Amino acid sequence: MQDLIVEGSGSNPAIRADWEAGCVEMKGDSYPENAFELYQPVIDWIESFLARESRPLRLQLQLLYLNTSSIRAMMDMLDLLQGAHDGGHAVGVEWRYERENERVAELAEEFREDYTFPFDILAHD
Amino acid sequence: MKQHEQLEDRIEALLADAAYAGHPLREALTTLFESYREQTRLIERVSRIADRYQDAERDRGLSYAARYQRQLRQIEKIVRISDRYQNMLRDMNERLHWLSSRDELTGLHNRRHALLRLREELQRLGRHGGQFCLVLADVDHFKSINDSYGHDVGDRALAAIAQGLSEEVREYDVCARWGGEEFLLLFPHSGIEEVQSILGRLRHQVAILSGQFLPAGAAALTLSFGLTLCRDAAEPLNAMLQRVDLALYQAKGQGRDCVVIG
Repeated sequence: MQDLIVEGSGSNPAIRADWEAGCVEMKGDSYPENAFELYQPVIDWIESFLARESRPLRLQLQLLYLNTSSIRAMMDMLDLLQGAHDGGHAVGVEWRYERENERVAELAEEFREDYTFPFDILAHD
Repeated sequence: MKQHEQLEDRIEALLADAAYAGHPLREALTTLFESYREQTRLIERVSRIADRYQDAERDRGLSYAARYQRQLRQIEKIVRISDRYQNMLRDMNERLHWLSSRDELTGLHNRRHALLRLREELQRLGRHGGQFCLVLADVDHFKSINDSYGHDVGDRALAAIAQGLSEEVREYDVCARWGGEEFLLLFPHSGIEEVQSILGRLRHQVAILSGQFLPAGAAALTLSFGLTLCRDAAEPLNAMLQRVDLALYQAKGQGRDCVVIG
């Protein structure tokens, strides 16, 4: 499976899915015109990785603003991770935020609710 | 033991009894009893299958309900998170609006906001008539404060003057940092005499405040003012600003620390 790279712009985050490293990174704001078009390849990539590999999968997020359809897509991805975790697959999320932007951490906590896999919310300067 | 089971046992015993061997009723009863048994088996089988269908339907119903509940929870979570993002944007928007209309150092309104309010005041003059006063104030010898005591003291002086100005003007007046050490004041519905009296209080207040942060022995801070009355809504804004600027220039020329009406 190939790596997946989406250049970031004002309205969509930079996305990088690295098969070898078992890592998906998303960074920036997310209010694309068509969230399905943007995130479906990412969801497909995660599904493929979880189906074909037994190695751990990490999701590294540094997201600031998400519109409603991006929130939906994000929850679909996190649900996939939860399913994998329930099946014994090692998965984890690291959500990084700038220390002074405490509200981003609060939103990440809202996302984390209901999930039982490792989900770290980390401040950086 | 149930009644029909007792009957079955009795019939089985009768059929097994050698005393009735060869009796024509025994043969007929044997056939009838076998047929009865077969029918009972069939009914039980049909009932079992029907029960399994019912169980499957019930399970399916439960899984629909569970899926519905799960989706409902997901939607509620999306809505909750989305609301929080919207609140975050609204607060950021308010903050940006505040920043775009304020001067960072003094907290006063900035030049952009002052121009906006001036245009609004001119439009109001066009609609309802009346008058307003425009004042341009400049700190006297401000460069020497910076040169003598450093820019930190200069900045604090500007902030203190701004505080003094904004405390003395009325709620509906506009007090803005026009640039450098210049301040623009707009007094809606006001005439020259009224504004001169406000400026008198302002000058007094600034003198008191300057004594609080300037080193001992330093001369008190003063301001020079250009003041003009605006009554003509058709007058270009630039002409109005040039007039008040010229009055300020004349105040400087007349030895500073005074008000010149232009």
